[in-house]
Amino acid sequence: MTLEEAKAYLLRRAREMGLSAEVLFQEERELSLRAQQGVLEEIKEARQGGLGLRVVAEGRVGYAYTEELSQEALEWALAEARENALLSGKEGFLPEGKPLGHHDLLGEGLSAPLEAKKEAALELERALRSDPRTQSVMMAGYLEREARVALASTQGAEGGFRTGLAALGGSFVLKEGESLKQGWDFRPAKEFHALDPGRTALELREKTARLLGARPLRTGRYRAYLEPRAMAGLLRVFAEALSGKNALEGKSRLLGRLGEQVASAWVTLVDDPTLEKGLASRPFDAEGTPARPVTLIERGVFRSFLHNSETARALGQANTGHAFRRYRSTLDVAPSNLYLLPVGNLKLERGVLIAEFMGLHAGANPVSLDFSLQALGLWVEEGEVRHAVENFAVSGNLLELFQAIEALGEDLDWELMGSAYGSPTVAVAELSFAGA
Amino acid sequence: MLPTAGVEGVLARALKGGADFAEVYAERSRKRRMSVRSGRLEEAISGLDYGVGIRLFFGTEVVYAYTNDLTEAGLQEALETLLRAKGTLGKVDARGQGGLDFRRRAPQGLHTPKVPLGEKDKRFRLERLLEAEAGARLAPEIKEVEASLLEWEQEVLIANTEGTWAEEKRVRTRLYVLAVAQDGAEVQTGMSAPGKSVGLELFELYPPKEVGAKAARQALTNLRAKPAPAGTMPVVVGPGFGGVIFHEALGHLLETTSVAKKASVLADRLGEAIASPVVTYIDDGTLPHAWGSSEVDDEGRPTERTVLIEKGVLRAYMVDRLGHLLTGYPLTGSGRRQDYTYAPTSRMRNTFLAPGESEVEDLFSGIEFGLYAKEMGGGQVKPGSGEYNFAVQEGYIIRKGRLEEPVRGAMLVGKGPETLKRVVAVAKDWENAPGMCGSLSGAVPVEVGQPHILVSELVVGGRA
Repeated sequence: MTLEEAKAYLLRRAREMGLSAEVLFQEERELSLRAQQGVLEEIKEARQGGLGLRVVAEGRVGYAYTEELSQEALEWALAEARENALLSGKEGFLPEGKPLGHHDLLGEGLSAPLEAKKEAALELERALRSDPRTQSVMMAGYLEREARVALASTQGAEGGFRTGLAALGGSFVLKEGESLKQGWDFRPAKEFHALDPGRTALELREKTARLLGARPLRTGRYRAYLEPRAMAGLLRVFAEALSGKNALEGKSRLLGRLGEQVASAWVTLVDDPTLEKGLASRPFDAEGTPARPVTLIERGVFRSFLHNSETARALGQANTGHAFRRYRSTLDVAPSNLYLLPVGNLKLERGVLIAEFMGLHAGANPVSLDFSLQALGLWVEEGEVRHAVENFAVSGNLLELFQAIEALGEDLDWELMGSAYGSPTVAVAELSFAGA
Repeated sequence: MLPTAGVEGVLARALKGGADFAEVYAERSRKRRMSVRSGRLEEAISGLDYGVGIRLFFGTEVVYAYTNDLTEAGLQEALETLLRAKGTLGKVDARGQGGLDFRRRAPQGLHTPKVPLGEKDKRFRLERLLEAEAGARLAPEIKEVEASLLEWEQEVLIANTEGTWAEEKRVRTRLYVLAVAQDGAEVQTGMSAPGKSVGLELFELYPPKEVGAKAARQALTNLRAKPAPAGTMPVVVGPGFGGVIFHEALGHLLETTSVAKKASVLADRLGEAIASPVVTYIDDGTLPHAWGSSEVDDEGRPTERTVLIEKGVLRAYMVDRLGHLLTGYPLTGSGRRQDYTYAPTSRMRNTFLAPGESEVEDLFSGIEFGLYAKEMGGGQVKPGSGEYNFAVQEGYIIRKGRLEEPVRGAMLVGKGPETLKRVVAVAKDWENAPGMCGSLSGAVPVEVGQPHILVSELVVGGRA
């Protein structure tokens, strides 16, 4: 069966079985081109699609998915979803659906000839290799993804959209004397023509080279300046505390704190799925709730969790349209384009400029919000970078860090990690540094 | 059931299109996850992953395609797309005219589960999860418990133009308990997650109640723990998942994926003493029912036991097909991938530090002030510079050779090659533990392991 046929089949069979059902259909096309020593070492062309099923049986919810679209596989998925629902101990429902329209968020964004894309990958690798300090290029290439999402339910939801992105990515090792640094970057854009391999390579070389010749950092408490993409990594962890689902499950330290001052007055945090060039923009969420911008923290005051229909109802709050689901997963909550609003009152004085955090998935606890992370950075004094520092860890708690934010730059930059996370450079009064 | 029709045609056509080597990897996986919270089933999902990956080599250039369309026409279309991307469409090679001579490899059943996926009903699973949850309710401070069961049955077929035809059914089961302890504004977590290449007999090997209690004890310990100290100090790392230190600081540097590009600080160093002589490091894909074991790797080669470091001396790397072509090192059955959406790269399987000569107590006895990292979380490494980090999930202060108060939030950081020289003692005990390892070819199940070890000096990240 085609995906369209499978979708229709499932809705019809669900009605026959007396089930409410929602079918999320996702299809993704990927092209990736990886260069090495002036040739393409890997070309990848792929298509993947599947159907995610959410059914309600006797007032409870169950899930299943399938990538195989035979009648037998679809029947198996329906039966499993129904069985999962009947076993569930939790009441559930499907939101009322409505026509959502069909949207194209990509347009002609990826419509360059294959040869131009190959050349972009090769040029990036060449430009990374051209630095005399380059010891090796681990990876350099071009990636594009195009996704189609469609949603249909027995409750009347019906709609779809197409989106995608093009990106340049590279990872390489620079060597100077005994000092080795591995740098990486991933630069996505909504269209191929917005990519610039020469410039991406130059930025990556500069960003990595400044870390060479690093000295150990003495253990102590210092002011910290977090560069946009380092801060974006912390926002990703913090987003877990903003999740209505985690709040509902007792895994958010923000539960019960709506209306309270949870961050310094400089902090305004917004999620905006409607940003025109937003890397994770979308017309509606995974349940068909139309997208709109939401202010989560306003001048330090906690205004809202991120909600889907289920978490909003359970906590008695407004649905913010942040249902997130891939066909292989159950209903969750996630931001789209989550960012800290730039302010423009930042001035470098004395402290550590943090360029990058490592080990976020292990060193930052999304429940307690405690973090202890390896970092790479630069020592700053009298407003100037003096030298690179390495082999140290930075520790604290994200809520304390947000309270200690003293200034934010104007340099908003983004990191794509499932959702898009944006931040300017942020100055934090004091953090704990462990080193020599 | 995996489709076998069309596989040979695709391989033959790939050779005609000018490829030096072609491989088909087909997969059909059934997955189930059930989560229990507050004494009831909260969420359950069942899924069917179904797809194929086609990989062609032109010299050392690789082209890879994947699709969910496993019909003969679907496979052919994926192949033609690849040849078009490579730019050799229409080229006809004389090879591939005749049939391919496959050596079919029958599975040996080394890791066959006692209780297969379909055998017990879901209620049986639910009851075990409820036991795990109840086991975690040790104290009123335990506010939340989440117990999940993951079941994964993966059928693979790997065929290539060298005549490999391997089929295997891999079954993996993992129980995961997260406990959240709260006291006023303080919130801490504890976790326990045993997993093996077995079926539901996992519950016999790891009684759910005990798994729950372990997670809860850890959460309660962290609740009364003070922030870890900051600075450089001696560290004793506990057994089992403590092995993640070597996984990050050493294992990743020995995969040909980075070695072949000289992007590992340990490239070109076979025969050299790279670690302290107490270090013997082994990667073994054959351990019966281990979380990272399989009969064949994802390139269709039998997995094996590879001694990487023997008494401090580098003896071997972990080698996949591409790594072998690029370096000439012998294949070690280390080609692995998350699923059909990834081309394989060289990856670890069950990697552990072999037991040493010391008594566990002796590791602690000489330490004036240091850290006991009893249970570890995950970590990360940059192979090109050797910089790595890993998180301590349960830690204690060592003072004058004795274990004292618990500390939380410690992160160990260092450079792999330096740390290897600072391993000064390895104890006689030994334990392995499961984890998921993420790298170029996705997230794959691995075990890490070790005895208790003493590292003379490490940077401990904590509160300064």
